[in-house]
Amino acid sequence: MADAHAPSISVPLRFVLTGLAALAVGFGILVCRPDLLATYHYGPNVIALAHLFILGWLASLVMGSMYQLVPVALQTRLHSERLAKLHYLCHVAGFVGMVWTFWVWNMKQVGHFGSLLAFGAFLFIYNLARTLARIPRWDVVAAAIASALFWLFMTLCAGLFAVSAKCWPQISPFAPISLMHAHAHLGILGFFITLLVGVSFKLIPMFVLGEVQSRRRTWAALILINLGLASLFPTMLLASAWKFPAACVVATGLAIYGWEMLAILRARKRRALDWGLRSFLAALCLLAPLALLGLVLAWPSLPATEKTGQWENVYGVLAILGVLTFAIMGMLYKIIPFLVWYAAYSRHVGRAKVPALAEMYSPRLQIAGFATYLPGLAGLCIATVLAHERAIQAASALLAVSLVFFAVNVGLMLAHWFKPRLALAAGPNPMPARL
Amino acid sequence: MNPPNPLPPLDEAAVLEVLRQVMDPEIGCNLVDLGLIYNITIVGGSVTVEMTLTTQGCPMHESLTEGARHALLSHPAVTDAEVRVVWDPPWSPSMMTEAGRRATGLA
Repeated sequence: MADAHAPSISVPLRFVLTGLAALAVGFGILVCRPDLLATYHYGPNVIALAHLFILGWLASLVMGSMYQLVPVALQTRLHSERLAKLHYLCHVAGFVGMVWTFWVWNMKQVGHFGSLLAFGAFLFIYNLARTLARIPRWDVVAAAIASALFWLFMTLCAGLFAVSAKCWPQISPFAPISLMHAHAHLGILGFFITLLVGVSFKLIPMFVLGEVQSRRRTWAALILINLGLASLFPTMLLASAWKFPAACVVATGLAIYGWEMLAILRARKRRALDWGLRSFLAALCLLAPLALLGLVLAWPSLPATEKTGQWENVYGVLAILGVLTFAIMGMLYKIIPFLVWYAAYSRHVGRAKVPALAEMYSPRLQIAGFATYLPGLAGLCIATVLAHERAIQAASALLAVSLVFFAVNVGLMLAHWFKPRLALAAGPNPMPARL
Repeated sequence: MNPPNPLPPLDEAAVLEVLRQVMDPEIGCNLVDLGLIYNITIVGGSVTVEMTLTTQGCPMHESLTEGARHALLSHPAVTDAEVRVVWDPPWSPSMMTEAGRRATGLA
């Protein structure tokens, strides 16, 4: 056991490694097929690629991390580790099958693999819901996790309905594109961003030695995001002009969230921020252009031109590869060393000198990764607006280079698992200065 | 015949010294200089330490408390060690020593 509250690290680690493999394949596809971002996104290959990034990369990472961190952060125990292992099998088989069958556009098989994935995700929701039911004290973090699980459930239902509507069009009164957009917002905004907002109220104060400055602001942000999404979903589904006010409510929630994050950072005790945290915070800053673009795209009289389609692609890129991927890559510099440290060194604490988490990887590679990712992302957004395939390819290659830096660092971290380096640990006194 | 080696003295300073071997791996500072050690009680060879953590729900909770116990037991004069986690008063960076503040970038 990694901790009295957490499952063994093999559960989260298998999700994390699967996610990284999916991200590598995703960037590989972007480099080889830059045309996918230079055209409108409602096509088999783009949908397959989006599901590779969202299910293979983001969902794997987030779900694996939640199995480890939710019980620890909320001081309870995971309901069932066996269910988590079963979920992993369903998840991998489901998303691999879905991506492939989306790519070849066999919607009947998408439905089969989607059902398998959804079954696994329902196990995840059940497992986490039972875990949440045990927590001693509810707070905004627990509420955010609970609402994210609800939106995940809704995303799965909407996704299964969308596939069914493709197989039997008569069952759906909604336009397929509206259904897809509504489904995507449930997943990205409801599950991932709600979770990001909630856990950052716990993680950021913990890492910067600070505290939440206004509990009212944290609740206001969470409530507005949830209310906004609850009204955004039906208005998108019905292609109603009311989606703009709904988007404004979400944007207001995100603005209040940004306000609170800024207040926490201003009041922090630990002045120096490590690069993992900087990545995470840079990703949060990207919420501002993302929300702004979302508002523009929600404008009722926006003409549906080719250019609008490209801006919609940028919106997706900014959400998936900007906010979420960059935030997760930053947080992985906390999560992976933490998992490996537990496996390799936890039992040696107090008996031998063990390395600090920051000593388990190369800060230079981390900085190189940060320095290549942001220009790569900016380039990809500009190239996508211009629908310039060569530029999309170059920017994707830069992102892939950043991923290589990250992968080498992950290798350095995992090396501690296979061969613990107790001898390399710094002495306890005087302490090594970090950052 | 040589007399047996005398045990090193077991006092508060000695306990703090062994607890300095236990580092918070995230913050990169030992428990003592972080200001996490609140109280030390020594009765014969039995040591009881009251300590806190930087935050409730700290992922390192078990490792640090078990690590502190192992470190205490590494002292030859300690026969029994107990580590209790308390949350009152809550930890704040003002409890850190000057060395701890330098190590964590607060100074």
